[in-house]
Amino acid sequence: MTGIGAGRLAIELIEATKRYGETIALDGVSLGIEPGEFFCLLGPSGCGKTTTLNLIGGFIPLTAGELRIEGRRVNDLPPHRRNVNTVFQNYALFPHMTVAQNVAFGLRMARLDGRETERRVAEYLDLVGLSALRARSPAQLSGGQQQRVALARALARRPAVLLLDEPLGALDLKLRKQMQVELSRIQRQVGTTFVFVTHDQEEALSMATRIAVMSDGRVVQSGTPREIYYRPVDRFVADFIGESNFLEGHLAADGGARRVRFRDGGAVIVPSELPVGLARAGAVTLMVRPECVSVGTTAPEGQWATLTGRVINVAFLGNHTRVTVQTAAGAVVTLRPHSEGSRSAALDGLLDQEVCVWWSPQESTVVASDTGGGADGSLA
Amino acid sequence: MDPIQTMPVSPYARLVRAVLRTWALVVLAFLYLPIAFLVLFSFEESRTPGLPITGLTLHWYEKMISNGILLGAVWNSILVAVAATTLATIIGTMAAFPLVRGGIRFPNVARILFTLPIMLPGALIGVALLLFFRRVLDAELSFWTVIAGHLVFTTPYIVLIVGARLQGFDRMLEWAAADLGASPARVLRHIVLPLIAPAIMAGALISVTLSIDEFVITFFTVGPQLTLPIYIYTQIKFGVTPEVNAVATVLLVGTMAVLGLSWLMAGQARRISGLIGSRGGAGR
Repeated sequence: MTGIGAGRLAIELIEATKRYGETIALDGVSLGIEPGEFFCLLGPSGCGKTTTLNLIGGFIPLTAGELRIEGRRVNDLPPHRRNVNTVFQNYALFPHMTVAQNVAFGLRMARLDGRETERRVAEYLDLVGLSALRARSPAQLSGGQQQRVALARALARRPAVLLLDEPLGALDLKLRKQMQVELSRIQRQVGTTFVFVTHDQEEALSMATRIAVMSDGRVVQSGTPREIYYRPVDRFVADFIGESNFLEGHLAADGGARRVRFRDGGAVIVPSELPVGLARAGAVTLMVRPECVSVGTTAPEGQWATLTGRVINVAFLGNHTRVTVQTAAGAVVTLRPHSEGSRSAALDGLLDQEVCVWWSPQESTVVASDTGGGADGSLA
Repeated sequence: MDPIQTMPVSPYARLVRAVLRTWALVVLAFLYLPIAFLVLFSFEESRTPGLPITGLTLHWYEKMISNGILLGAVWNSILVAVAATTLATIIGTMAAFPLVRGGIRFPNVARILFTLPIMLPGALIGVALLLFFRRVLDAELSFWTVIAGHLVFTTPYIVLIVGARLQGFDRMLEWAAADLGASPARVLRHIVLPLIAPAIMAGALISVTLSIDEFVITFFTVGPQLTLPIYIYTQIKFGVTPEVNAVATVLLVGTMAVLGLSWLMAGQARRISGLIGSRGGAGR
């Protein structure tokens, strides 16, 4: 089915499994990455994301399953014969070579002629903005510069896929933000498929065209940043990416619209289309992002999911205010951005007041309660 | 000043320190005074060197240079040192890889076996080699038996020094090279060997200095040829001549030069390893 021609995947994992003795690092992962994607493997440490990257790079062998690069099965191909290149977490620049020699290394190994090598080294050093430092040794470079050399070195071979293993992890926050923008630009410019590993959800959301959230050696959910953020499939994903309110209750059919009924009273309308497994009534968790929740003394008219409660905390956080409301369903956190005309002062008066919180049912997600354990406890 | 240095420890601290300082000087004098006299006497005019000095001359150095037997012995020593060091460097470097990187069943036992010859008495090794060459292999003692004998005690030093270098080697560099299309052989040639070269060179230089003045094992394994230490030994039998002093002085200077060079090499190795070390760590 993976024939030659249009539509073939850059990377395809089919039931890929990696075991170290008794430990399962990767548990039957199937994944398809389209050419030109900026694909992000996201998850906490030990979730199998780096293992996945190392499998694709060819540094560790698969225990079971299949790996295809550009439609070709490469399970047994050693790293130096694979059409992928890697930017390592600690860059792994060769300390006995200059910047230019580092970038030229892969081209020398490909036995490119001298003129073409020279041309490409210049091209890729220019791409990462390091032409002026070509004669330096890696030890004379800052962390961010070393990162760019590693990027140029890997890209210079013009691989089908570029693998990046937490390349921004060693940089300080400011530089990291700058490099996020830079990496996105470079990816658009060269058009190479990027597979990026990170545990930083913000990094993933800001750069990726598609994200696979991993946990315990499995892919829990894959989709665009928006899908992952607004339609998490379970509590783990919702908790790992961004902040979320988790409200435990029961699904109940109530006239026309379906609702989640809470144990201590109250019920809210839920989205019209629910996950398939949730068709019948049962214990569920309703998730809604804090920035989707509004707060006020009276709820507006219309199709809103509304709860009442008492404000237990108001925190001014510069560009937004965070209001925590204790409702019958649990604590609900809402983030109110400060725009012109709605400065935080008005919200300060809400403390200890009886208020309403409401959100559009379409902004909330409902999953079965027993999924995605571990990360327990809603926001407070 | 650092308070720990001025802290009052004992009323006799000052005295104790003075005594210890004097003692240190005595020990140093014991170590180096004979060598100083050796160098001094090599320039002494008189045929029977002793104090006081009667006058300075380069006569004994001229005599040394025109002594054919002596020069032959020096040449032999250099040949043995170069041959033994070349072989020891190749064998020792190859041995260091499995010893450091595993893949062998009893790494600790293997490590001890490889470095034990440093600790064994030279006479023991010498007798054992003599028996082995003559009684087991039934070989004539020659140049080759001397070289084989020198391999026994030079190889362990190479293993130790190169092994230490490999211990701190960042394996991610090898991954990176493989990732960039280098076959295992090219990874070795372009990445690993250039980075451990300073250690290999330092080991080789130490091996040269050890080999060039080795006496005991050479004495048991040598054929009719003379090496420099053996020549000096045979001359001493007829009394210490100023000519031998001159030879010994030249040997001293040569050895110091080689050791200094190896020290510089090791320093370079440390600098590179520091650089790699700062980059290593944090893997997965």
